[in-house]
Amino acid sequence: MIRRAASLPLIAHVRAFLEHAGRATLLAGAVLRALPRPRSYMKATIQQAYIMGVHSLPLVLFMAMLGGAVTSQQTGAQFAGALPIWVVGSVVAKSVITELAPVLTGLVLVGRIGARIAAEIGTMRVTEQLDALYAMGRDPVRFLVVPRVLGGFLVFPALVVLANLAGMFAGWLLGILTVDGLTTADFLYGARYYFEPFDVWYSVIKGTAFGGAITFLACYIGLEGQGGAEGVGRTTTMATVVTTVAIMIVDVAVVPLLKLF
Amino acid sequence: MGEAGRIEFRGIHKSFGRQVVLRGVDLTVHEGETLVLLGPSGTGKSVLIKHAIGLLRPDAGDVFVDGVSIVRATPEELLAVRRRVGYVFQNAALFDSMTVLENLWLALDDDRNLRSVESCRDEAAELLEKVNLDRTVLDKYPAELSGGMRKRVGIARAIASRPKYLLYDEPTTGLDPVNAENIDRLIMELRRELGVTSIVVTHDLESAFQVGDRIALLYEGRIHACGTPDAILANDDPVVRKFVRRGRIDAVVA
Repeated sequence: MIRRAASLPLIAHVRAFLEHAGRATLLAGAVLRALPRPRSYMKATIQQAYIMGVHSLPLVLFMAMLGGAVTSQQTGAQFAGALPIWVVGSVVAKSVITELAPVLTGLVLVGRIGARIAAEIGTMRVTEQLDALYAMGRDPVRFLVVPRVLGGFLVFPALVVLANLAGMFAGWLLGILTVDGLTTADFLYGARYYFEPFDVWYSVIKGTAFGGAITFLACYIGLEGQGGAEGVGRTTTMATVVTTVAIMIVDVAVVPLLKLF
Repeated sequence: MGEAGRIEFRGIHKSFGRQVVLRGVDLTVHEGETLVLLGPSGTGKSVLIKHAIGLLRPDAGDVFVDGVSIVRATPEELLAVRRRVGYVFQNAALFDSMTVLENLWLALDDDRNLRSVESCRDEAAELLEKVNLDRTVLDKYPAELSGGMRKRVGIARAIASRPKYLLYDEPTTGLDPVNAENIDRLIMELRRELGVTSIVVTHDLESAFQVGDRIALLYEGRIHACGTPDAILANDDPVVRKFVRRGRIDAVVA
């Protein structure tokens, strides 16, 4: 009996997870089916991409710069005397491009874009605006989800590339200012020494995957939202938690790509 | 099969989790009539009319709109039914990130048509005229309008597709008596001008007797009584009596 009672919540959780997975798959199918008629969502997509990109850019750049600045100073402090000083350039370039810039950008956009999308669509759900769309024969997937998800796919990689540049710049600047004996020539030598062109692709692939994951999951969670202002609060929290976990899982899942190329 | 021109609810059961809301509702709304659906708050009046355009699916039973089964309708048939039905939401449900013009454009245009917002300006102004609002409202956002004006824009949006049927969900709730009376008058005018078949969900008795050709009382998940306003007034069933006498349906619950 005890065993049975203890296993019930687990079964309920598994069942709820499978139900969500099923409904999210149906939503993904609906998004794909909506794609062949771009005229009906192109304008909204560009609008969303603009809102996501332009409004997030300052924070994305700032966070990437902090990441780059920390890396160069830490490397300088820890490796000084043990390794050649140009290693600072290598570590900054590798870690900013392959990890810090995409992940920090992803985390910033979880808050800035994921939470906003979930709150917006969740509010539309509880104020019957989604029902109103259905009532007018409008498809919320085409009208709300497709522009946001496509906007995410378009904008995230671009933001990650800019974050790479900002992180590198801050890493270089703080490096030559604070690491004893490091020159611009050392930094650039180190940065180039271990550089692989695929690193940039890897960074962009991650950005694209994060963009899709954050916007799609936030839309799904928003559409599933229920119950008043409190419900919208729950929806937003849920979206933040789920998308944060999702980008970290994606981050781990794409590591094998590095070995392939 | 349901008949053309009618809305027919047949044996509708609906529960949310363990909460049973509708326990077998049978109700027919005839062509051209305005049926008022009365009932205490929380009895499932809004839930019932949401079934008519497939916003909710019944656990058992079926709804026929213009002879089309909503339960068995294909997505295309359901879309066609929705274009024939105007739905006025309780709090208007206007898209708050859009101006009044854009809200009306969404209803005037459809995914296939793809007209620009500006090309709908005159048509939108005509719609506003029908609900006694002037065109200066077009460029305002819903948050800048009063409750009564928002309801009117909600009605304008519902009639944009020239519907054959209009469903009003609590059209006068939250309005002062003057505005409530104006909305009642508007409902009657629209019926005359557009010849629509309507269901008005309300717990406002005064409004019910003013606009309804027939009144149906939803109580404990079923239609408890249904008839002309005079028949309802003359009905000596204790629930109906209590409700009509008290003037406020919530008294039935208390």
